Parts: sequence; C-alpha cells; structure tokens
Amino acid sequence: MPLKGKLTLVTGSGRGIGRAIALKLASQGSDIIVNFFRRREAAEKTAKDIEALGVKAEVIRANVGDPAKLNEMFDTIATKFGHLDILINNAASGVGRSVLDVDIKAWDWTMNINARAFLLCAQRAAKLMEGRGGKMVSITSLGSSFVLPSYAVVGISKAALEALTRYLAIELAPKGICVNAVAASAVETEALKFYIREGLMKDIRQATPAGRMVIPEDVANVVAFLCSEEAFMIRGQTVVVDGGTSVAPFITVEKEERR
Amino acid sequence: MSVEEEMKEIVAQIVHVDKSVLTREGSLRKDIKADSLDIVQAMVAVEDKFDIEIPDEEAQKFQNFGDFINYVERRVAEKEKV
Repeated sequence: MPLKGKLTLVTGSGRGIGRAIALKLASQGSDIIVNFFRRREAAEKTAKDIEALGVKAEVIRANVGDPAKLNEMFDTIATKFGHLDILINNAASGVGRSVLDVDIKAWDWTMNINARAFLLCAQRAAKLMEGRGGKMVSITSLGSSFVLPSYAVVGISKAALEALTRYLAIELAPKGICVNAVAASAVETEALKFYIREGLMKDIRQATPAGRMVIPEDVANVVAFLCSEEAFMIRGQTVVVDGGTSVAPFITVEKEERR
Repeated sequence: MSVEEEMKEIVAQIVHVDKSVLTREGSLRKDIKADSLDIVQAMVAVEDKFDIEIPDEEAQKFQNFGDFINYVERRVAEKEKV
C-alpha cells in the first residue's frame, strides 16, 4: 500500500480515464476525492467502488472551468481535510472543430476547462501540499504535438497544459512537489465511442504497433508510477502512452504494402 | 421573476438572441440555432441558477424549450417542497 494515508483529488473521475486513475490510486491505499461535473450517478458509483477497496471517498461536484466553482471545491477540501497529497488534473472537455471554425466561445470553454483549470487547481493544491510535498499529474493527449482531425482547440489546450506542467515542475520542485503529465493516444472509453465511428476505432487499433487501443487502465498505471517515490527524479515530463503509435506513423502503410 | 422568465434571460444571454424569440414550442437547436456548446452552457447556467442537476438522459428527452422549462419548474417545485 504505497499510498496509504494519502489524499488524492482526481478531477473528472466519474467515468473513463479519471475513474480508472481513481480506482488505481485507491487500490494503492489513497483516499480519493471524486470530482465530477455532469453525471452524479457515475461519480457515486466510482466512490462506492473506491470504498469497496477499503479507503475513503468523497464526491464533490464542480465545473473546473468555472473559477468560482473550482475555488468552492478547494474550500471544501481545505475545511474538511486541511491538506492534499496528490492532484490528478484529468477533467477535460472540448469542441471538435477545424481551426477556422473555432470561435471565441469554443476557445474559452475548452481552454478554461483543459488548461486554466490546472493553473488554478495547482495554485490551490500547492498550498494544501505545503510542508508535506506532493504529486501533480495532468492527463493530456497526442493532439498537443500532432495534428488530429477536428481537434484544433483541444490540441492547443493540451499543448498549453504540457507547457504549464514544465513551468510548475520547476517552480514547485523546491517545495518537494513533482509535476508531470501523461499523454495518451485515443483511449477506448465510452466518451470516445460516442464521438468517433467504429470504422475509425478499427483504424486506430490497426495503426497501433502494440496491437490494441490504449485503455484507461494503461494510463492509470503510468499515473500511479508518477505518483510513487520511484518517480521522484522525473520532473516536468510528458510521458506518452500510445502503444507506439507516435513513433511509427507509417506502420499501417507498411503493413498494407506487405500484403 | 418566474422560472420561465429567468430561463429565458439565461438562454437569451448565452445564445445571443432577444428573449422574445424564445417560445415554449420552439427548439433551441433548430429554431434558435443554438449549437451543442450553447446548450451545455445553458444547462449549466440553469443548474447553477436553481441549484438543481439535469441528468444528460433527461436533457436528451427535451423536444423543445417548453420541455426544458417544464422539467426545471418540476425540479424547483420538488426542491421547494423538501
């Protein structure tokens, strides 16, 4: 139980990647604050599954894109617990449009939830980690470095998130706080199934050298490592979890040529 | 101000339309041309205003603005009873 007695906040942990991370860290002994925005039922289910692992779970609703709500969440954490050991910045949203179709409203919505929320969460969390050290891990995506269809504003927000990770890692290093990010390729979640057609899912599977799509648990395993003491010397990095996709962009072409 | 009036104020501000064009029979998506982000923002603003939660499953059932208003009115009334 490497995380026994620790307290972790996982933003957006009702479903998908956030839920997998929450359960993984709970299985390692950490109490978990399950933050959600839209689906209370899913968050309550995550909390119940966390408690079944023998640790405590607290559910807090907050839209992290809204500074007032985000601050209310941290006020609750400060009053109820008075400290925080691990911050997982996972909550994300976005508007799928090409660059020329991105309006101010779509830009602000996406940037505020995906990038600004980490700035504000990190500022509040750092105070709760004062004198005890801590870990912060953000979930980002390959769209920060590569151009993906209709992903412009999300990709840009993720690039900002990765840059913020580097700056925070250096600024918070003297306080004993490790800050890193995990970038996944398309992760097989309910949300992804909602947004992309099955044909594309099949293409992604075929283009992944590791032979299958990334699943939430793959991301959670790396997050858990970054939250461990073994990762103490990793600072400001974005660890890619993509089954080899980004280093072998032509692998599908090669397979087709062989046929 | 009634729930309906307050909702009209909120939606008009988000979608940038005059609230006189918001009718119970009209569809936010088809008639007012609200996009998916407008609708999410309107839901969130209404949830915050009345301190209620609108599950996505319920929201998907709304055929027009009137359905949205009826749902919120019902939830607000339930809350007041408690």
